[in-house]
Amino acid sequence: MRRKIDVRNVIPEDLYRDALSGKISRRSLIRRGTVLGLSLPGIAGLLAACGGDDDDSEATTSSDLTGGSTATVAATATESAGSASPASSTETSGSQTGGSGPSGSVTIAQGNDLDTLDPHQTATTNTDQSVISHLYTSLIIRNPDLELVPALAETWEATSDTTWEFKLRDDIEFPNGEKLDANTVKWNVDRVLNPDTNARIRSWFNLVDECRAVDDTTVEFVTSEPYPALADQLSMFFLLAPEWAAEHNPASEAMGTGPYELVEWIKDDHLTIKAKAEYWGDPVSFETVTFRAVPEASSRVSGLLAGDFQVLTTVPPDDFPRINDSGDATAGSLASTRTAMVNINCEVAPFDDPKVRQALNYAVNKEAIAEALFSGLNVEPSQGQILTPAYFGFNPDLEPYPYDPDMARQLLEEAGVQDGTEVEFTVPIGRYLLGQEITQVIAGQLQEVGFNVTITEIPFSVFLDKLITEHSMSPLAYITYAWPTLDADGLLSLLQKGNQYSYWPNQEYSDLLDEARSTTDPDTRRDLYAQATAIMREDAGVIFLFPQPFTYATVNSIEWDVRPDDWVRAFEMRQKE
Amino acid sequence: MKGYLLVRLLESIVTIWGVLTIMFFSLRLTGDPALVMLPIGTPPEQVEEFRRALGFDRPVIIQYFDFFGRALRGDFGTSIRFDEPALSLVLERLPRTAELALLAMVVAILLGGFAGIIATIKQNSVVELLAMGAALFGQATPVFWLGIMLILLFAARLQWLPSGGTGGVSHLILPVFTLAVFSSASIARLLRSSLLEIQGNDYVRTAHAKGLSSRKVLFTHQLRNALIPVVTVIGIQTGHLLGGAVITETIFSWPGAGRLIVQAIQNRDFPVVQAAAAVFATTIVLINFLVDLTYSVLDPRIRISGDN
Repeated sequence: MRRKIDVRNVIPEDLYRDALSGKISRRSLIRRGTVLGLSLPGIAGLLAACGGDDDDSEATTSSDLTGGSTATVAATATESAGSASPASSTETSGSQTGGSGPSGSVTIAQGNDLDTLDPHQTATTNTDQSVISHLYTSLIIRNPDLELVPALAETWEATSDTTWEFKLRDDIEFPNGEKLDANTVKWNVDRVLNPDTNARIRSWFNLVDECRAVDDTTVEFVTSEPYPALADQLSMFFLLAPEWAAEHNPASEAMGTGPYELVEWIKDDHLTIKAKAEYWGDPVSFETVTFRAVPEASSRVSGLLAGDFQVLTTVPPDDFPRINDSGDATAGSLASTRTAMVNINCEVAPFDDPKVRQALNYAVNKEAIAEALFSGLNVEPSQGQILTPAYFGFNPDLEPYPYDPDMARQLLEEAGVQDGTEVEFTVPIGRYLLGQEITQVIAGQLQEVGFNVTITEIPFSVFLDKLITEHSMSPLAYITYAWPTLDADGLLSLLQKGNQYSYWPNQEYSDLLDEARSTTDPDTRRDLYAQATAIMREDAGVIFLFPQPFTYATVNSIEWDVRPDDWVRAFEMRQKE
Repeated sequence: MKGYLLVRLLESIVTIWGVLTIMFFSLRLTGDPALVMLPIGTPPEQVEEFRRALGFDRPVIIQYFDFFGRALRGDFGTSIRFDEPALSLVLERLPRTAELALLAMVVAILLGGFAGIIATIKQNSVVELLAMGAALFGQATPVFWLGIMLILLFAARLQWLPSGGTGGVSHLILPVFTLAVFSSASIARLLRSSLLEIQGNDYVRTAHAKGLSSRKVLFTHQLRNALIPVVTVIGIQTGHLLGGAVITETIFSWPGAGRLIVQAIQNRDFPVVQAAAAVFATTIVLINFLVDLTYSVLDPRIRISGDN
């Protein structure tokens, strides 16, 4: 039941050999691996194993950028192996920085500053949680290859469909001398579950009935129903020290078991951390790490070229040539785990007719959008589903809807949709990477097949009110979704009948998701999700677009295991030899 | 004079109350903090609980009276984003913004004053054309564009100055200049036109006739009279500078109150937006109040009419 995967067990011998000897490219490796039905961690492991120096960073899987439910960014594409993750036993991790201890410094510039250092009051991966992951530790950590690997917990397993057991290391102490044991874990889970804490991440543990300290190093989670993504969820759950937390404000102070300690945080300016002299996990590369909040993208690029920053996230595609021509720095991109789509309100005519929704999918030219707005970033259409290959449950057999305006017109005619039918298309302002521009292009393409599209631009908070609270979204709405556990259950459930986000009441799909939720068996789940995603494609629950690209840049002296799932961690970067 | 002050003071209080009231209701028309702050997929019951914990489930009018009751005692609530008192967050950031705005005002007065005077002295020459051309350009240039161009030139290309953030004096140069440009252009244009307007007045002719040097006439007779409209504009410009700081601080990653407000608005952090609105409104009203007092120093006639 352990989720850890040995690369060699899951990948055919010949593919493994070819990859190691460099006979096939990373891209075709992913393609072949996927066709063979290999799990993503398996492929990622192989990619890592074969290392490689090609900087074709978009080759990998998915990736993202605007923040989960909140913010922006992230990156991916594991280049060479070497993850410097603090997990003590990353089997796939290769060589780290040479030399002994941490040295030098790195400044990472992102668009937003943190909101809080309290690990239980934020779900924002690229800023809050990324910084927190340097200061605190979780039971398990997801490495740049997207595998779950041990951190505070040495092993974990599901002992039944609804119980999980985690074995902790017994040698971990907080800097103030508090022991980190099973009771610490229980205290942290209870803190989140306690309604008085008003923890923002409480919904992550909705299925957790109880967390029990069996003995000093054994923790048991009891869930109300099968919760296969529990381990994934715990990889973003960081542990506070109970005694310390009682006397300090974890929102602005920090004292944890991570590789770094907090030096200072000047809000909206910078946050600096320093490597601890003693740390129980893998050594880190950089002595000092500074996170700078630079809201203006062009200021970030200028700062990189001026030498003020060494790593950037969210680089405008237009600035790529400027960075790459400088000779000092390199910009790159990869598909994130955040998928862009057009939400269709299937509850209103004529969009309650599947033919109309299929017509919409045929009418949108994904390649043209990518060409026009993401030129040079190799943005490819989603494979007829909202999951990206990074998710458990991704269906490799589905194909994107081809661009076929004639087919679209024919379907609309069959459905009796008049030429010039009015349709409103809503997009939140300034929320998603080029969201307003993408909306305009799509509107133009729908105009071509006979719709008369009106675009409504509104602030994101109003957008959410309309979408969720009022449930009164316009027939079309541009939206992007990512789910941090990278499990199909989370992302697909957003469109399940009865979910507050869903405007596509498909019973068959809903039943399949419910069924998948009743088991933790990976093969059964994968099979059920394959059926569910196939239904969603056929019934065209949304207009499928593409994974949002994650863009980044680094100075040439730094190497970063960029990843598609938003984490920005200095311990996954290192100085090039 | 006393009556005048009292009336102005009452007006100021009404203005601040009006600003806060408009701010309070318009904020609540534009979306809900709970949804923006909670992770995707949070079930409706928990969104509702979160809302209740923040007090946003109560009728808006009750929230309004509660807000004013507390605000009068200096309590603007706790920032939803930072979990710290909203007012102290704003006050913590204010010195950074004041630093930029005051320096920019000084630079604007010096630059604008110089350009306005030189354009008057060298009337109908290339110098006037250059000075006024620059002023026109300065007034027509959007702050965000200018800021980015300056970063590209001085930080990225020449690498003489940092691209943003805080530190030594070098960090101040670009943002202060960017912020000062618009105001100095307005001051230059206004100063020039009011100096020229006064030039034809009898008392200026008299001053010339009694044999004073042109310089003396300009600085003692013309300038003092030309300053009244300019002081008004400087007062208004201070409001612009505080507002402009929102953009400048964003471009130059300057951790002042302007950026705090932008972030708070984006995050629907109502308590911080309200506290910042109160602080900014009070500051601007106070500055205008001081400007009114300055008139009476510059022009005794205003003082006298105020007493009537």
